[in-house]
Amino acid sequence: MHPESEIRTPLILGNKTYKQITDDIIAPIEGKTSKWWYFLFTVSLLTALWGIASFTYTIGEGIGTWGSNNSVDWAWDITNFVWWIGIGHAGTLISAVLLLFRQKWRMAISRAAEAMTIFAVINAGLYVSLHTGRPWVDYWLFPLPNQFGSLWPNFNSPLLWDVFAVTTYMTVSIVFWYMGLIPDFATIRDRMVHKGWKKFYSILSFGWGGRAKHWQRLEEVSLVLAGLSTPLVFSVHSIVSFDFATSILPGWHTTIFPPYFVSGAVFSGFAMVLTLMLVVRKAYKLEEYLTIKHIEYMNILIIVTGSIVGVAYLTELFMAWYSGVEFEQYAFLNRATGPMAWSYWAMMTCNVISPQLFWIKKIRTSILATFILSIVVNIGMWFERFVIIVPTLCRTFLPSSWATYTPSFVDIGMFIGTIGFFGVLFLLFSRYFPVIAIAETKTILKTSGENFKKLAASHKQHQVEQH
Amino acid sequence: MHINKEKLQFVFDAKAKTFAYTLMGIGLVSIIAMFIVDGQHHAEHYHLNRAWANVFSGAFFFTALSLGAAFFLGMQYAAEAGWATTIKRVIEATSLYLPYGLSILFLLFILGQLHIHHIYHWMAEGIADPSSPNYDPVIAGKIGYFGWFWWLRTILYIVLWTWFTLQLRKNSLEADKYELGGDNHAYHWKNVKLGAWFMVVFAVTSSTSAWDWIMSIDTHWYSTLFGWYTFSGLWISAISFMTLLIIWLRKNGYLEFVTESTIHDMGKWMFAISFLWTYMYFSQFMLIWYADIPEEVTYFQIRWESYKSLMWFVLFINFAFPMVLLMSRDSKRNFNFLAFVGTIVFIGHYLDVIMMVMPGTVGKHWTGISWMEVGTFLFYLGLFIFVVLKNLEKAPLLVRNHPFLEESLHLHT
Amino acid sequence: MLKKNKIHVIFGDEEPLMNAVLELRKAGIRIKDAFTPFPVHGLDAAMGIPRTRIAIASFLFGITGTSLATLMMWYMMIYDWPNDIGGKPNWAYYYNMPAFIPITFESTVFCAAHLMVLTYLLSSWLLPGVPPKNPDPRTTDDKFMLYLELTDEQSKLAEDIAKKNGAEEVNYKGEIYIEPKY
Repeated sequence: MHPESEIRTPLILGNKTYKQITDDIIAPIEGKTSKWWYFLFTVSLLTALWGIASFTYTIGEGIGTWGSNNSVDWAWDITNFVWWIGIGHAGTLISAVLLLFRQKWRMAISRAAEAMTIFAVINAGLYVSLHTGRPWVDYWLFPLPNQFGSLWPNFNSPLLWDVFAVTTYMTVSIVFWYMGLIPDFATIRDRMVHKGWKKFYSILSFGWGGRAKHWQRLEEVSLVLAGLSTPLVFSVHSIVSFDFATSILPGWHTTIFPPYFVSGAVFSGFAMVLTLMLVVRKAYKLEEYLTIKHIEYMNILIIVTGSIVGVAYLTELFMAWYSGVEFEQYAFLNRATGPMAWSYWAMMTCNVISPQLFWIKKIRTSILATFILSIVVNIGMWFERFVIIVPTLCRTFLPSSWATYTPSFVDIGMFIGTIGFFGVLFLLFSRYFPVIAIAETKTILKTSGENFKKLAASHKQHQVEQH
Repeated sequence: MHINKEKLQFVFDAKAKTFAYTLMGIGLVSIIAMFIVDGQHHAEHYHLNRAWANVFSGAFFFTALSLGAAFFLGMQYAAEAGWATTIKRVIEATSLYLPYGLSILFLLFILGQLHIHHIYHWMAEGIADPSSPNYDPVIAGKIGYFGWFWWLRTILYIVLWTWFTLQLRKNSLEADKYELGGDNHAYHWKNVKLGAWFMVVFAVTSSTSAWDWIMSIDTHWYSTLFGWYTFSGLWISAISFMTLLIIWLRKNGYLEFVTESTIHDMGKWMFAISFLWTYMYFSQFMLIWYADIPEEVTYFQIRWESYKSLMWFVLFINFAFPMVLLMSRDSKRNFNFLAFVGTIVFIGHYLDVIMMVMPGTVGKHWTGISWMEVGTFLFYLGLFIFVVLKNLEKAPLLVRNHPFLEESLHLHT
Repeated sequence: MLKKNKIHVIFGDEEPLMNAVLELRKAGIRIKDAFTPFPVHGLDAAMGIPRTRIAIASFLFGITGTSLATLMMWYMMIYDWPNDIGGKPNWAYYYNMPAFIPITFESTVFCAAHLMVLTYLLSSWLLPGVPPKNPDPRTTDDKFMLYLELTDEQSKLAEDIAKKNGAEEVNYKGEIYIEPKY
């Protein structure tokens, strides 16, 4: 194994051995549940229950309970759907794209990011299934033979493309995540003393034993899954953007939407990963695995994706003027100066200006600043979807159908509830599953561990002196 | 690792020179013939349109290609990439055509302003003047973006891009002056910074220049994705050319130190960026097709009516070819095969530029690809090869004192 | 009847393991299996395990997905019940194709990914409830184990080579008897 360049910062700090890595990462699972976990779990569960109440009310009463109206027929439901599914893009990006790019720092965050992806996509799925109004007949969305005069779903509709895209994305993400988890479950299984838990992890580990042939297959499977997931990530948010862009509505119909949505999704996903990982790292004492350098890399990606999003905003704005189409121009004038201009400027500030602060090294290596900015970015990305949907629908072609919008308590309850639900799932994950990929992290110890890098450097020094 | 010191210096030998001169010679003769033949074509608003459009397409394609190489180089620095260190001189040499290409383009722009050619509709006299017979209300609405402002931007692109490219090269050569294996990476860090700033500049200028130089040919039409579409095209052109150059150099006994994995990685890039290009193509095409708005759909209507076979052909060879042929690992490690696909993709993206330029200039008068396109392409290709190889000769093929050199020399995946 | 010893050779690091594998193979000793806590780069090749063909399987599954989606959409939208929705041209698959590409792509990925993973799990027999495949529980933590089935004579040689390369333990775990093949 050839050592990597000395100028690369070590990714695993301290004097680590393989055993130490296992111990450190499994420690939170083996240890006692802490008080703060119970506290957070209770809070999340209560908010999730509020969400469930709102969902139940919607199912019982219909979507008339929402703030949406005849003109603004898509509002918080789709805003939140796009927001959640956007957040759900970082996991696969980290584990697939960064795997293809051989970025070793992905290993510290990939597991948690993938988990986060799955939970976020589940939340997104809740919104799409509910906004149909009659979720009990959602199976109509699928191309099943039926009794309605062989009426099939409309394959020309981007909403149907969404059904396929989200289904594929969610299931493939789960599988990708689980394939990586199997060896780690085996590690936990082989350490557990408690019989019941041993059985639990034994079932989860599928009988994994680390045979050479199985590792070979698993590596190939991961590589192929990464190769498949990369275009998949692009396609999912592109198709989400098609929901808007295939229309003829000014402000929605614009060709830059697919790549711009993808970039925005990655942007918000990374921000959410940072928010969560900064907490996890502190709570589970994983500072040596999730170093400041990791945070810095993430922040650099936030600058990149944030800037791409910024360029896209300006492109849209410019093209609206350049097109010479009156409606196109008004759509953007309305966003920036209309009755909901506050949302537009919130979006601009949070998404375009605030990530640029990461150009300053002090800020992008500061944990507190990163934590705050990551939340700011997520707020900004929520506003982006709001701006695209609500102000646009408030003022479409016909002034006679102009309207305004306020969310109802059900809308708010559902949104808060999904955040709580997300919290519940993530807390359960972090309590019972290894939050860092154990086996994968061991593969980079010799090249990127601090102690091994020092050893290699002193070795090199020794050679130079001998000459 | 053993490195053959004699083969560290590239020699632009007589054979290669003759090849480049021959291409240029054939090309020059065809260009002259093209101007004579195209001069016989008489139609309204047609004055050597095809000839000039060809000259412009070639100038743009190779300039964009070298810009793509400069971008690739800057990105390697900004991303702390180690794998490509052994091929850095090839990337640099490819990017150094930029000043030449930009000069040719600039000359063409001046000729346009002097009304010698009519590539840019908005350059026509009185286009924004309601009393003029040339008046066009749509263009008049956006004329503020053109005129002196357009020229200012054009000059800005030329200055900025050239400066960054030359500066990246300068630092790279400076770093060579240190002892091999030394620990002073000052010039490397300078380039990392420069690379990051270049990315910022490029992020804006790559889009705006595509609007200014290409999209404004169809002055009425607009598409927000156009900049990124052009960008993905110039990126893949650069990748395919550099891959070809690396394989050619290896066949001539150079670049032994470049591992198979590095070339395999170039193959992966070719595969991936071909996908990116297709993604951009599809996003732009499908959305315009789907919404079917008159303002936008005209762009594809003319292509569908007068350029149908070429349009399909471009999509086929730029998407299906690399996708099917480069999917397996073995095909990316078979260098003859990789060179074959690289050539196809390279030509495919030249044709894509033709598809971007011709419908807005030649329009319905298009008769299909002919010797005119081929001849012009050969002229620019000869010139490009000449400039690139000349620059390759100016520095050793392997960088010294690069912090990622060892990683790249031992790249095995 | 041929008597063979079942031997567990335990290493504390992947480098001695690799060296031992290379040397054992040179000495003509077949390595029955290896158990490692993480994928050791190059171990499969050193042990003489052929390359996996699961990627090819995935490619074929992918093509199946493409065909299924194409067939489905052609049947439902063009053949069985053409509907004019939003003026989209549904009289021929070719004209309507841009709208079909997203689902074709998704279906390709869906089949390629899931069927490949299923193939992987079944061919490796990794399923819920399957008992652990590693004989020594330490190999999922920080130990590397070679599993050998050797005659007495070979065992001695293997033990020497393993010890020389830094094996921490060489454990004899019973015997098996193999019917000689005629």
